[in-house]
Amino acid sequence: MNHTLILSWVTFVYFASFVLYLFRLIIGKKVLGRAASFLAWAGLIAQTIALILRWKNSYDLGMGHVPLANLYESMIFFAWTIILIYLIIEWRTKSRIIGVFVVPMAFLAMAYASIAPDISNRIEPLIPALQSNWLTSHVVTCFMGYAAFTIAFGCGLIYLLKNKEKGRVEKPAGFSGKLPDFATLDTLIYQSITLGFVFLTIGIMTGSIWAHYAWGSYWSWDPKETWSLITWLVYAILLHSRYVRGWRGKRMAILAIIGYGCVLFTYLGVNYLPGLHSYLKA
Amino acid sequence: MLIVLLFIAGTFIPSPDVVQTFADHLSPGAGKVFLFFCLSDLYHSSLFYILLTLLSLNLIICSIDRFPALWRQYNAPHFPEPDGIFDNLPQSRIITVDKEIGKIKPIVESCLKKKYGHISEIEEKRGHFFYAQRGRFSLFGVYIIHLSILIMIVGAIIGSIFGLEADINIKEGESVNVANLTKSNGLYKLDFSVRCDKFTVEFYKDGTPKTYRSDLSFIKNGQVRRPGTLLVNHPLTFDKFHFYQSTYGIAPEIKAIVTYTNAGKKSGSMTLAAGDTFFLPQSRARGFVLRVEENIMQTGPAIKLRIVSQKKDVQFWVFQHLDQIVAMNPNLLTKMPMFNPGLFQPLVFSLKRLEQTYYTGLHLVCDPGVPLVALGGLLMVVGLMIVFFIPYQRLWVFMKLKDAKISISIAGRSNRNNQQLQKKIDYLCKRINEEIKA
Repeated sequence: MNHTLILSWVTFVYFASFVLYLFRLIIGKKVLGRAASFLAWAGLIAQTIALILRWKNSYDLGMGHVPLANLYESMIFFAWTIILIYLIIEWRTKSRIIGVFVVPMAFLAMAYASIAPDISNRIEPLIPALQSNWLTSHVVTCFMGYAAFTIAFGCGLIYLLKNKEKGRVEKPAGFSGKLPDFATLDTLIYQSITLGFVFLTIGIMTGSIWAHYAWGSYWSWDPKETWSLITWLVYAILLHSRYVRGWRGKRMAILAIIGYGCVLFTYLGVNYLPGLHSYLKA
Repeated sequence: MLIVLLFIAGTFIPSPDVVQTFADHLSPGAGKVFLFFCLSDLYHSSLFYILLTLLSLNLIICSIDRFPALWRQYNAPHFPEPDGIFDNLPQSRIITVDKEIGKIKPIVESCLKKKYGHISEIEEKRGHFFYAQRGRFSLFGVYIIHLSILIMIVGAIIGSIFGLEADINIKEGESVNVANLTKSNGLYKLDFSVRCDKFTVEFYKDGTPKTYRSDLSFIKNGQVRRPGTLLVNHPLTFDKFHFYQSTYGIAPEIKAIVTYTNAGKKSGSMTLAAGDTFFLPQSRARGFVLRVEENIMQTGPAIKLRIVSQKKDVQFWVFQHLDQIVAMNPNLLTKMPMFNPGLFQPLVFSLKRLEQTYYTGLHLVCDPGVPLVALGGLLMVVGLMIVFFIPYQRLWVFMKLKDAKISISIAGRSNRNNQQLQKKIDYLCKRINEEIKA
């Protein structure tokens, strides 16, 4: 079976899963939540198969490389890591509510990858600079970090939403009543950021080691490198403000959202600036 | 008054940390803006070094500043337990038994010891207390991270002061021992020379480059010390330098692969470019390459040679596709002796093919700061793991006699990941229950 066909189905499966999570939140029927999780798992498995097929396909075409080499492949992998990390968290916390905010991110990444006119979904050969074993470890760790920050962003959004609703006391059992409590959200934001931070650190380091072997310089102040450092510093500030100043709750949520803005700029915005990471240009 | 002072100190001391990180955070960002305005060397500007120094100073000062508090936390007395830690405990955390305390105590003690190693205990009026802890050293994990940043900064500074970056372009077959410094316009004389034996570029079917490969020889004191193949992502090391494949290009001249026969026997093969001279030992003659043409008069590649010996001095063309040309003009060679590759008898030359000459562009780096930066990176990962994934957990077990029964309460504190601690306490309760029953 063709992997592109599977991937376009997966896009719809994630969308359906998101819709079910949403209904689960509004109507409150548990069976909907279970169906949503089931769809997310099914999508993840199908996507894994599609990625393996694409990998194999690249060998059949005589190029033979991990499907992590251009913008399309990275977007698909981004969606995959988001769903993976989300499902692990869902399984650990037994809470399905963040799915409403996180699963659509994966759907958007998938949809953007297939719809955007300037993103080609063809399997492209690897240029010499990318022919390295560090490619896999660098991309995987970076996207694990991005995905963890996505979860933190989702939780941050829920936190602010709930915080806004808090003022209106007349509807305590309404929409916000169904959202997880503040303490859980705060813990989730903090934990996903620590996870993301560790992955981002390792991602920057693997990239640095790779650059040392490929270009002879572990740090070249290329826009992507600079912005990943900025992102790293923003999250470092967030963690320091928590440890040293004891910031919690709303401030954490806002910082998680600001940090995610940096993540998105590092990932996508930087592609419009000239630099060494320009393979991601479509 | 004291509280206000403490408060000011408390808010002020961490703030330079945040402000400083912000300042540093701004400089790369601003750097990007400046890059557009051609202020390209911001990252090596004095402003940047000053910021780095400030950041390092700030890291050191904050670390020293916070040390006493951390040290107190590290050496916190085990008893008494934090206020109210045993209040409002769920029933599952209180085990009630009606056995003698003398029998129960060793059981609890051994359960704790098995999990936590060293434990301490105290006998009070209220009852008997045990204390256990784990991951205390993780309090200092943050110092490992800060130290790793300092090490990396030192490594980067060493690299920028003592490091050297240079580029060389070498034509195939040539050797070079002078490199152009990358950051300034100066030249750097190497105490060895590098010869490019061959450069190969391969492409995929769609035209994307697949491989850039330079076959190099490193020559020192006239001897080839080390031949090596250089690929992108696979640098070579010679002397103190790392060599990287950075670029390539086509040199202006074209090489001709020429063979000749002597009275019908195959005698020699040469690679020639326009302007080259060569020696023909059998005929005691000297040859000159006058011209190398890729496509002369629509007949394909050809070269023009001049051969000079004591008796003769002739000039003639050698066509690659001579057979086809003769087939179309049967009398060509008699009419135009200049087109006869066997004009210098008894030698007959033939042109096998023309080849482009490549030059390979190498990037040379010598950075003594790299080991320090790598060490810093390693330490940072270790530090992050310790800080985030090894929590400092403290446990108190309180045994007291109540209505002729002993109640054992277990409570704990953790600086991170309270869930994990709660799970551990649940497990401990279960173990103690099982052991008591047994």
